[in-house]
Amino acid sequence: MNDPMCGTVRELIPDFVGGRLPPRELELVERHVVDCGDCGAELALARVVFASRPMAPTGLADRIAGSVAAGRSQPARTWWGVSAAAIAALALGIGISSGPSMEAPADVPAFAYEVEEGDVWLSDDGLLAGAPLFDVLSDDALLQLLDELSVTSAGGSA
Amino acid sequence: MSVRDEARRDEDPSDQELVESGRSGDDSALDTLVRRHHAAAYRVAVSLVKEDDLAQDVVQDAFMKAFRALGGFRGDSSFRTWLLTITANEARGALRRRGRRKETALEDAGTVVSEEMGPARAAIVAQEAERARRMLAQLPEKQRLSVSLRIEEGLSFKEIGEVIGSSEGAARVNYFHGIRRLRELME
Repeated sequence: MNDPMCGTVRELIPDFVGGRLPPRELELVERHVVDCGDCGAELALARVVFASRPMAPTGLADRIAGSVAAGRSQPARTWWGVSAAAIAALALGIGISSGPSMEAPADVPAFAYEVEEGDVWLSDDGLLAGAPLFDVLSDDALLQLLDELSVTSAGGSA
Repeated sequence: MSVRDEARRDEDPSDQELVESGRSGDDSALDTLVRRHHAAAYRVAVSLVKEDDLAQDVVQDAFMKAFRALGGFRGDSSFRTWLLTITANEARGALRRRGRRKETALEDAGTVVSEEMGPARAAIVAQEAERARRMLAQLPEKQRLSVSLRIEEGLSFKEIGEVIGSSEGAARVNYFHGIRRLRELME
């Protein structure tokens, strides 16, 4: 894969298979893969991945929408209900709690759901050979890795 | 029809408009957000927990959590990216609570096979698809999610980075490493 166009095309392949490319870029990919076996193979792989995407089970949307509607229609708790719950929680907390809860926080931060304290991905990233922890690498190191993967670091719709 | 087309048609209100309506108490706006994004959220969840029932619970919890926090959503990222980030974290939480990882039952999740194909071709595609899913499941989590989110959902590397808690560059490397590994596994 020495053609500089390969890097650009590889960036475009996911949007090509998802039908998200404008005509000009669509044509660029189509023309390139005719003569480039490597990019053609990557395109074939991306097509299979896209075709194999799991479908959401029938009825899931209804189930979620139902839960959401039920949650929204619940009346606000009365003050004595809150007090009783608070007293119960306090009583339990005094006896049980001695450190930070491991449960997810009730509130979701404004931008994104923050990772809990001490949380790590339950990933095998970094434990499996060939699965390095890219997060700890500098931008320069990441660029070098992309170079080794023969991928441009800019361009494409991503 | 692309995934984005499935999720949204031009004449429909934008996610941001629906979020604003939802904040004002419009339940139908929330309903539309659910129908627009539940499939992508399900794919993220099932990719992580690898079990259909648990993935459905995760998606439901993620929507409930997102809607409860809608008032504080500033829109720094798209609603879709925000929801998928919450879903990924809910999935990780579900796995942690369970205390173990389940490596089965991905087969429970049906895959997309076009009805326009003949039965023979559809069978081959289904077989290939099942194999791809098995191979994809062998990738480390961040590589797997990067590949899925880029190809299936059309997220940018910046958005993928937000979902997996990495930089844009790390998301890009995770994706291309994942693709390379997947090609090796498929050969």
